[in-house]
Amino acid sequence: MGFVEVWYLIIGNPVLNVLIALSHILGGSFGLAIIALTIIVRLISWPLTKRQLNSTKALQDMQPKIQELQKKYGKNQQKLQQEMMKLYKEAGVNPLGCLWPMLIQFPIWIALYQAIMGALATTPENLLALAQRLYSWDIVNQAIPLSSKFLWLDLGHPDPYWILAIIVGGTMWIQQKMTQAPAVDPRQESTSRMMTLMMPLMFGFLTLMFPSGLALYWAVSNIIGIITQYFVTGGWGYLKLRSPFQSTPVK
Amino acid sequence: MLLVVIALLPLTLVSCALWGTQSVGGWSGTAFHDGIIYAGTGDGRVVAINSSTQSLEWLYAVVMPSGGMSCGQSSVSAPMYGTPIVDGDLVYVGTYSGQVYALTIARGTERWVYPRAGSMGAIVGMPVVANETIYISSSDGRVYALDTTYGDLKWKSEPLADKLWTSPKVMGDTLYVSTLDGHIYALSVETGQLLDWSFESDAGFASSPVIYEDTIFLGSFDRHLYAVRIGSDVPMWKFPQEKPAGNWFWASPIVNEGIVYAGCLDGKLYAIEAETGEKLWEFDTESPIVSSPVLMDNLLIVIDESGVVYVFDLDAEIRDEAVPLKAIQIGADVNSSFCAHDGLVYIRGENNQLYAVDIDKGGVSWKISLTIEE
Repeated sequence: MGFVEVWYLIIGNPVLNVLIALSHILGGSFGLAIIALTIIVRLISWPLTKRQLNSTKALQDMQPKIQELQKKYGKNQQKLQQEMMKLYKEAGVNPLGCLWPMLIQFPIWIALYQAIMGALATTPENLLALAQRLYSWDIVNQAIPLSSKFLWLDLGHPDPYWILAIIVGGTMWIQQKMTQAPAVDPRQESTSRMMTLMMPLMFGFLTLMFPSGLALYWAVSNIIGIITQYFVTGGWGYLKLRSPFQSTPVK
Repeated sequence: MLLVVIALLPLTLVSCALWGTQSVGGWSGTAFHDGIIYAGTGDGRVVAINSSTQSLEWLYAVVMPSGGMSCGQSSVSAPMYGTPIVDGDLVYVGTYSGQVYALTIARGTERWVYPRAGSMGAIVGMPVVANETIYISSSDGRVYALDTTYGDLKWKSEPLADKLWTSPKVMGDTLYVSTLDGHIYALSVETGQLLDWSFESDAGFASSPVIYEDTIFLGSFDRHLYAVRIGSDVPMWKFPQEKPAGNWFWASPIVNEGIVYAGCLDGKLYAIEAETGEKLWEFDTESPIVSSPVLMDNLLIVIDESGVVYVFDLDAEIRDEAVPLKAIQIGADVNSSFCAHDGLVYIRGENNQLYAVDIDKGGVSWKISLTIEE
């Protein structure tokens, strides 16, 4: 069995069939099914998310110490890195830990992208190919074909009004700002600001190219992320500390 | 963060490839008329091939704008799903770009195109010609009736579904069309007005309707073949009666002398009593059956997706498990409809080659590539 077969067996087909079954349960609304699946995915990945949020919280708490180190060793980057790693180690925090939940979502995005395109069967080839990927559950077969209409969106195509792109980019920016610690070094600060802007812009751009069903997943996932982050870390984090137009942290 | 950006890059490129330049697809099949084979090709052309000399008589390329945020050229070849249909001195074809073309059978020159500008919605089903009118269903959910001579619009129906991907059938003064959302509608062929009778199923219909006597036969997404008496609200029977088949009945069945022959995506060919829905026999091809069976005299010809041509002698007594007279491998996948004439079966493979299979000799008589340089 090749990689593609294993992929469909373990990830692709379960996601597709669950999505279609959810759509049938939710009165034939594929949009609601995507939202429900997003919630399910977030629930399944909750242990990882919680670790990430705890990491973020710990990083926030460490900020005064980090800033002290940055002031002290600002001109000696090597020493600064060593001291910061030492600090992270002492506190039991992995600064890259917050990346894992993001990376783990990639296979889900790909599976979801395939599931959306497959389930909506926007082309006759997709509809024919769908036949070989469906389980024999009545709930799944009776749901075919699915309606791609949800609110103003055609879930199989990008949002022509750019509304979803703004929501995806905006919610991602808020989420980034909540976790992005301010840096004392102006160069680091500049890089940090650029990255905080680049990710939302990139996802906004991808939203204009991918089917809006996938962008709906991103938007809902971001909103859930903001809410959980707010409650777990106890507030808006670094978002409330400074406006996007300020370059120095407010003490 | 850098990792995220790097990981997103392939996604972006895949997206660009998928949305920017659409690859040409379609499974338009073959039609035989007066020694010429007409086919829609996998690269968006209509071709006429002389069956005696295997030479190209003419070709007609159909293009459409690529649309969207393109990373490539501004126009691409238009896929074709419906098989060309010949009537009089014209061959008609509907394209996925949402236009109907009438080409002369002699030279392949364009007699008319509808609509002259824009699109009527992607066309997937095969057109039907009757009463000097061409009837065609569209992805905008409507059935269109066009004058065969000039291509003028006679009428278009009200939207019947989100999209119509099946072929309509005309019987007398009535046109019947099935929908992916599980309806059969009856329309007046004169006006396109909905008639009193319609049929609604819990599951959508995957295949085009086939009419035999006063009964419509068609396949459903619920893995059953339906027999619906025209005028009735309940199916006459559903096959299989006990538990659903292994997959959808995607291809339209054919009916001959009271027996329905239906291929299923589970790979099985079923022979079913048209009146009762009782199974007479079955044969497992072990590969999905996408194309409708074809009759040639007393021979039933079935091709599975893996490209094996099965020939059954309908005069032979078959019980429970059928044994094919011939099983001929052409060496290419087949999703297209095909035609048979004078002992030869003409098939367009997914590799965009045209095969002529000789039933008597049990092999491929000749094959030519349909990827032709203009």
